[in-house]
Amino acid sequence: MSESSLRKATPGRLVAITVTLLILLSPFLWLLQMSFKTNDEILQFPPPLIFTPTLQNYISLWHSAFSASFVNSLLSASLSTTLALLFGVPAAYALSRWAGRGKHALSFAILVTRMAPPIAFTIPFFLFYRWIGLLDTITGLVLVYTSFNLPLVIWMMQPFFDTIPVSLEEAALVDGARTRTVFTKIVLPMVTPGIAATAILCFLYAWNDFFFALILTRTNARTAPVAVVNFMNYEGWEWGKIAAGGSLVMAPVLIFSLAVRRYLVSGLTAGAVKG
Amino acid sequence: MERRRFIAFALTPSLIVLFAVAVLPAIYLIVTSLTPFQLTTPGSATDFSEPLRNYRLLPGDPRFVNSLAVQAKLSVASVLFQVLLGMLLALLLNVPSRFVEFARTFFLIPMVLPPIVVAVIWKLIYAPDISPLYYAAQALHVTLPALTSSVDFALTSIVIADTWEWTPFTFLMVLAALQTIPDEYSEAALVDGANKLQIFWYVTLPFITPILVISGMFRLIDSVKAFPLIFLLTGGGPGTVTEVTNYYAYLLAFDTNEIGYSSAVTVVMLLLVCGISLGLVWMGRRKEALA
Repeated sequence: MSESSLRKATPGRLVAITVTLLILLSPFLWLLQMSFKTNDEILQFPPPLIFTPTLQNYISLWHSAFSASFVNSLLSASLSTTLALLFGVPAAYALSRWAGRGKHALSFAILVTRMAPPIAFTIPFFLFYRWIGLLDTITGLVLVYTSFNLPLVIWMMQPFFDTIPVSLEEAALVDGARTRTVFTKIVLPMVTPGIAATAILCFLYAWNDFFFALILTRTNARTAPVAVVNFMNYEGWEWGKIAAGGSLVMAPVLIFSLAVRRYLVSGLTAGAVKG
Repeated sequence: MERRRFIAFALTPSLIVLFAVAVLPAIYLIVTSLTPFQLTTPGSATDFSEPLRNYRLLPGDPRFVNSLAVQAKLSVASVLFQVLLGMLLALLLNVPSRFVEFARTFFLIPMVLPPIVVAVIWKLIYAPDISPLYYAAQALHVTLPALTSSVDFALTSIVIADTWEWTPFTFLMVLAALQTIPDEYSEAALVDGANKLQIFWYVTLPFITPILVISGMFRLIDSVKAFPLIFLLTGGGPGTVTEVTNYYAYLLAFDTNEIGYSSAVTVVMLLLVCGISLGLVWMGRRKEALA
């Protein structure tokens, strides 16, 4: 196929793209450079663009309660991802193979649970947790995140199962294999890339959450995003720590999303990043 | 038969979980919305003497009515900007080049960042004492108002931050659509003497209109969730200038303890979101039927 004369990577266009990218990313880069400055440098006018980077902000975070929040975030995100996959992957397979009526209605009903604004879940969850003592616990967070990620898993995984020909499974069934064996030994290995991408997206949703963590945790189960906000207090804002904390919270996100960028659209459209 | 049983077995746990964590809370939310529930008032959770009281109060509650208007302004403005800017970005980056393909990934960064980090980033851009924006203004001898606490600019500053965060999403969707357009179409138009603007208007635009509408709808539904930005940047203020319905419901339940009333606000909001979502599905079906 000949290359279009209209869509060409002319030098002018490349410059325009680079400039646009720099403008777009400048707010993000500003936070990043701030995390390597001392508080004096942050407050200097004009802001020093050349400075000796320091890890002081990161070191003081490491020795503060922030590290515990970071561990809380890791725990709740990874546990809820595991649970959502455990429940959701078989369900996605079932939906993919189920030819019965009501399949589309069911799929849609599952998706709707994800479209609702988080506050609709937060009030009942808060009251219920208060009643049974799950407020400010990792278990409580894992439960919410699992329920939020389950529809995502079902929606993300179904197309992966759809691509596997049923005839392949039938052959094994004729040979006398049980459906359970066919699922675990033949089908699952074929969708491993899909599971990996889905797992990363689930992890990111739980990791990115602010709203649930804000309301359902206090101190013991406080997650990193909430901890960052807590550096903004009335005694004066610790901008260095805020910048370093923000950078740490976004680090796993940046690494993981690069890994699954091909699946980002389907993941995002199957729901939304929780506010 | 064994296969059928396996399918049922694979589906059941998920359905039970979804019922327990989505359907039951929804029912509980509706039940709570029929009571004057306050955590500090014993017995108020089960007081059904006047079940529709909360709903009757809603139309006469200026903060509720205002919050709907604020949400409408925020949603419409940010969706329009995001679709327009996303389209322009996609047109700019729709070139077959290794470098551009590599660069595309970096355009997605704002969208994948944790929403609270996005809010922190904009908090510092809008903070007069340390913001690069205010440094630049000062260097140019321009005096900027305190953007997030100004009645005139507070909502705009939320719209700007939200647009920064979500333009990558519409960009990604439009780019995917652009790449399905065969080059032959625009080549043919070019041979026929069309200029670039005409090609865009008569060839490209009709192709991407459905995706523009759909990505706009997705953003519209999600614009209800701008919570971290509002929480950190303006707190709903000044006054109630940036108080969207979601934020008002949050304040009612977790700040002033009006759980019953907050539930009613949330139920109304849920109905609105569901209505828009159903509209989206209906449009999606119609598009499939046309294709």
